Amino acid sequence: MRQGLIRDLTLGLLGLALLLVLPAVFPHPSLRDFLIYVIAYGLLAMSLNLLVGLTGLVSFGHAAYFATGAYIFGLLMQSGSVSIPLAMLAALAGTALLALVIGAICVRLKEIYFSFITLAFQMFIHSIILTWVDLTGGDQGLRGGIPRPPFLGIDLGQPGTLYIFCAVVFVLCLLLMRQVWQSPFGYTLRMIRDNPTRASFLGVNVVRMKLGVFVLAGTMASMAGIIMALFVSGAFPEFGFWTTSGEAIFMIMLGGTQVFLGPVIGAFLLQLLNHYVTIYTHHHGLVLGILILAIVLGLRRGVADYVADWISERRRAAAPLGREEGAETAPPTPPAARKMVG
Amino acid sequence: MLQVEHLCKSFGGVQATRDVSLNFPAGSLTAIIGPNGAGKTTFFNLISGQLRPDAGRVVFDGEDMVGLSSLDVVRRGMARAFQVAALFPSLTVREALTAAVTAHQRRSWSLLSRFPLAQSRARVDEILDLLGLAPKAELLSRTLSHGDQKLLDIGLALAMRPKVLLLDEPTAGMGPDERWRMIEKVHHLWRAQSLTVIFIEHDMDIVFKFAEAVHVLKYGAVLAQGTPAEIRRNQDVIDAYLGTDHHLAVAEG
Amino acid sequence: MNLDVLAGCMTTAACAVTQVSTGLIVGMLLFLVASGLSLIFGVLGVVNFAHGVFYMLGAYFAFVTYEQTGSFLLALLAGASGAGLAGIVFERFFMSRVYGQDLLMQLLVCYAAILICDDLVKIIFGADYKLMGMPESFATAPVELAGGFIPGYYIFMLAMALGVGAALWLGINRTRLGKIIRALAINPQMVGALGINTRLLYAGVFGLGCLLAGLAGALAAPVRTLTPGMGLSVLIESFIVTVIGGMGSIPGALIAAILIGLTRAFGAIGFPLFVDGLMFALMGLVLILRPSGLLGAKVS
Repeated sequence: MRQGLIRDLTLGLLGLALLLVLPAVFPHPSLRDFLIYVIAYGLLAMSLNLLVGLTGLVSFGHAAYFATGAYIFGLLMQSGSVSIPLAMLAALAGTALLALVIGAICVRLKEIYFSFITLAFQMFIHSIILTWVDLTGGDQGLRGGIPRPPFLGIDLGQPGTLYIFCAVVFVLCLLLMRQVWQSPFGYTLRMIRDNPTRASFLGVNVVRMKLGVFVLAGTMASMAGIIMALFVSGAFPEFGFWTTSGEAIFMIMLGGTQVFLGPVIGAFLLQLLNHYVTIYTHHHGLVLGILILAIVLGLRRGVADYVADWISERRRAAAPLGREEGAETAPPTPPAARKMVG
Repeated sequence: MLQVEHLCKSFGGVQATRDVSLNFPAGSLTAIIGPNGAGKTTFFNLISGQLRPDAGRVVFDGEDMVGLSSLDVVRRGMARAFQVAALFPSLTVREALTAAVTAHQRRSWSLLSRFPLAQSRARVDEILDLLGLAPKAELLSRTLSHGDQKLLDIGLALAMRPKVLLLDEPTAGMGPDERWRMIEKVHHLWRAQSLTVIFIEHDMDIVFKFAEAVHVLKYGAVLAQGTPAEIRRNQDVIDAYLGTDHHLAVAEG
Repeated sequence: MNLDVLAGCMTTAACAVTQVSTGLIVGMLLFLVASGLSLIFGVLGVVNFAHGVFYMLGAYFAFVTYEQTGSFLLALLAGASGAGLAGIVFERFFMSRVYGQDLLMQLLVCYAAILICDDLVKIIFGADYKLMGMPESFATAPVELAGGFIPGYYIFMLAMALGVGAALWLGINRTRLGKIIRALAINPQMVGALGINTRLLYAGVFGLGCLLAGLAGALAAPVRTLTPGMGLSVLIESFIVTVIGGMGSIPGALIAAILIGLTRAFGAIGFPLFVDGLMFALMGLVLILRPSGLLGAKVS
């Protein structure tokens, strides 16, 4: 148990070192920008996977919390009365409260209902952002830039410092989520994912556990939104649009639901794809949509899950009979919603 | 320990449970038998909080349990295993049992510690040994054989340290040899853990050999209750449930 | 918030009539979309997250047909049947491949469909707003009722939607095909065992659901602006309608759609900034008090 923690911390430090060294080795500003996008969307996808992969709750409205974090943080900073850490804390707390209220209604519902209601609430948040023009700037977004006053000797106005700050926060959040995955709480969520009825017959308060992870995931998404707001120095309604949620789901699917870091890989792949697609065409949705269809209907599972299965197949073929080294093979996608029809 | 008084439940127009009153003394081993559709599983669902009865009381340790959720019923000491083993397919046997023990120890919310908790280990090993699942502890639940899945299901219930254990057809879908091994394990558990066990069973040989008391349900109502010897001789049971052919077989066997 | 204005409107016959008629029109469009959504869910057990696409297609097909032929009747037919055919294609080639799979996969297929169709519409018709204008046959003077004015087209829409709703209800509850479809929802294996082509039925039901959405889009074309992505808000609202009315219930969808339509019409006067909020509050209330909706079967 202690070993696991030490191993995770070591890997976390190594990952952080890699993130910090990369821009130093390739000193191109666009690489740093690219990595910050991966960090922000990776964190969003990772937080969503607490619901999808760990608990079997397919939320289609996760971007609502991403946007809420960005807007609360941006508005507080623009008010000029609070420091960056305080505004961050307030944004996290505010989002947690919102997730608590919305979650209390959503987590009682099953599968498809849950997906649709989370989507509906997201559109509600989006419409508030659009209509409350005085506060949010409507469809123009929070304009005028978000001030980044130095705190504790850290000046996030420097692009380099901002990058380091984002990387550190990112790795800290990943370590926190890793802890959730490996905690008794995380294993109880796996029980709920596999068989909620049985879990409730084993003394697990399923509704309350789901609400707990819903709030946790929303808060983590809020952190991703804060990073985004810091980086682009603004907040925009698209942060809370349904396409952002859809992209987060696609990132998870690209990276696989059962590999812990899968969603980050998915975020990286999608950002790479976006980068090249926007160079060649304006019809980004068309290309992305066709790609999604090809993967979903062609591979019939996530890319990372496909690769993991392929590797374990190979290993099984290579290993002598009866000595299967399959301990690390990824379990199949969760039986989140096996709605059988036909 | 557990008294059921005038329990009634209907679905639409069908009365699945009609005025059932039964008593299960502490430490007893009781079989519930009855033809298909007699309302045996419904009876379990009613006393374990999955269904709410239309009328009647379920008194457990002096407390009326009607209206409590399955979660509350489990916490008061009544656990159950299912007719079709209800497992966690993607967890290993050890992980599933550990998670169940952790839930019973009210540590499901523990976020800052790592799974498995040291305090759950002894109990998990104990259950693995009791059921003979220790060699299979690291296998994924969904890869287990049918019999082992049924055992694991019982193990999950045992993790709740129940006073009353409800087993819905523990030997369902097994061959003759496997059935006897299974029921001997249940019998051993009952002795070793000083449990009150109520089990639904179709195999009359098993019922008459192991049960202390037998309750017979038919069309949702209690047809007869008594010791195995009494039930064997009960003309209502023989006529209505066993049929005349069985009568001879049972009388001679 | 303008509660005075709202109270004033509700007590003045003229204003009340105008708002009620607006509310009913909004409600009827939602009813058509929602009953299609509900039908697909009730029979196939999947939620068509791409349902808004067919509303959009219906509107654009009607728009083009009207431009080309000048006949509004043809435009309606083209909108509805075009969307229905598109629905069948979508079901056969895409949706049917992810039945029984993870919800995640179904969600992604719908997400892809929305992205692709919105972009295709943008490529073919342009990203700008399109206005179809009122068909000439309806360019008559509005009907006056208690001092309020109701455009003739509104009355046509109302009659059309109610007629389609009644036909749908009768078709499902009173015909042999309807009986088969209801059986399909409960036990598809059994229906298949009786020698009935269940795949064809699934595609048919899916297509019918999309046809209803397309009809709503075509009916909306004269009174709404057309844009790529116009289906989304309708999708969300019609989902709220199905939740309030109860998934799978057509009468429930009708009641809830009227409720939402009136909420929108009067809310726009009383709380112009909080109209969406009112709808969501209504939905939240129903979910807390009656999770299965007003007329829905119990969600187990």
